[in-house]
Amino acid sequence: MAITYDLVKEVTANLYDWSLRRIPESSKAEFRKALATETEPQARQTLAFMLDSAERAEQTGKFLCSDAGVPSYTLKIGSGARMEGDIRQAIVDGFADLVRTIQPPLLRFVTNPLTNERSFHGKDMPLVSCELIGDVDYLDITCAPKALGGGRWAAIETLVSPSLEEIERCILELVLRAGGQHCPPVVIGVGIGGTFDHAAKLSKDATLRPFGERNPEAMVAEMEERLTRAVNRMGFGPMGVGGSTTTFGVHIEYASGHGFTPVAVSFNCWINRRTRARIHNSGVVERIE
Amino acid sequence: MTTPSLRRLTLPLSREDARSLKLGDVVLLDGDAVATVGMPTQKRMVAELAVGRDLPLPLRGGAFFHMGVSYEETSTGPGPLHYVNPTTSSRFDHLMPSLIRTLGLSATGGKGGLGRESVEAMCEVGCVYFSFVGGASALLSQGVQAVTDCAWTDLIMQFRLNRIRLDGFGPVIVAIDAHGNSIYERLMTTARERMPDILQSLHPTAGNDETSR
Repeated sequence: MAITYDLVKEVTANLYDWSLRRIPESSKAEFRKALATETEPQARQTLAFMLDSAERAEQTGKFLCSDAGVPSYTLKIGSGARMEGDIRQAIVDGFADLVRTIQPPLLRFVTNPLTNERSFHGKDMPLVSCELIGDVDYLDITCAPKALGGGRWAAIETLVSPSLEEIERCILELVLRAGGQHCPPVVIGVGIGGTFDHAAKLSKDATLRPFGERNPEAMVAEMEERLTRAVNRMGFGPMGVGGSTTTFGVHIEYASGHGFTPVAVSFNCWINRRTRARIHNSGVVERIE
Repeated sequence: MTTPSLRRLTLPLSREDARSLKLGDVVLLDGDAVATVGMPTQKRMVAELAVGRDLPLPLRGGAFFHMGVSYEETSTGPGPLHYVNPTTSSRFDHLMPSLIRTLGLSATGGKGGLGRESVEAMCEVGCVYFSFVGGASALLSQGVQAVTDCAWTDLIMQFRLNRIRLDGFGPVIVAIDAHGNSIYERLMTTARERMPDILQSLHPTAGNDETSR
């Protein structure tokens, strides 16, 4: 048996479809917690409306948002995974099939950055990043379509031999710049160190981590808690109209680097679109989120 | 959300209604609005108005929203609605002051708000900005009765001027009033003022230990 073109095509299309109609379980849990702790009545009302709407979408199969985003996949490849056929093309063809058949129809978001022409396909679409993981026999696929509201505020600054305080200040300034524009309560992904591209990737990976999972290193976990509290003290609140729930979590990943330290910050809006499945060599598909 | 006590307003708003609204008011909307999320659309609107041409849909004194609309297309125009959802208004900041003034809009809306120049234009003409909850399409779409017209069909669906009939749309929040006040501005000012304290609280005993690096 192997991980085939047909299987990858079907699974990646399904992951996209599912991500449009339900928010992750860990996001729902955060909403319930925030409804108990948020003190601004209007912010509580907004949080309740969001959660109600998400539940309605899930129960009735409606979309969470009209902006279906651009397709973005993260593939983690076990060294024991056996693949058959053009896996990259399977993802392209899966998305093409999806936009042809999905109900209700998607609007056009795939944009040529040089001409602003919009369609359902384009250069490098869907966006796919790959990573090798250990000696396992599966392909782990995360689908996280990126919409405009959250996508446009991602930023990166490269510092030189910064102190921890300087890194944290940089993160908070990038968060402040975005204000409440990104459909909060957001997840904030921070990538520190490595190189420019690596920090950006770490930041993206950090946004994909479910709420409630902390960085395994105590020093980083404490930094996450500290910055989560700091962001929520800014007061932007749900939808940026005031309150103490601007983020459900600042997630931080880091890599060793040189004396220059890129600090990347990116955001996922409150619907936090993310689905994930594993395809084993046996052909078994294990849906994780 | 069923909140029967909410004030209901009919679009287009009268100037009196628009000026009666205060920051933070939560209301439901009925009536007619025009919605788009298109940058090229709004550039074209500004250009058409600049040369004295009227727009293809009635917008003078009306409600103009930054909102995506998806619907069935039929040979006679828009069919049944699929869904709606707001987009970020602040990216149209450079175009909105001109549109607010030239059209004398009484209401605009979307998410993320508008900048100072738009706030001043709104104050001049008597216009409010409503904040819609983004990503809550499943509930928000229930407040849209129909897509009644569309124009500039050479553009993709969400970029067209789409006329919608609302029935209990919302709840929506008055985030910029017709008197020069903006929730977004206030919150940004407050956040900036809090920053020194917030930074100080992160590392209250931080020194300048450079010796280990």
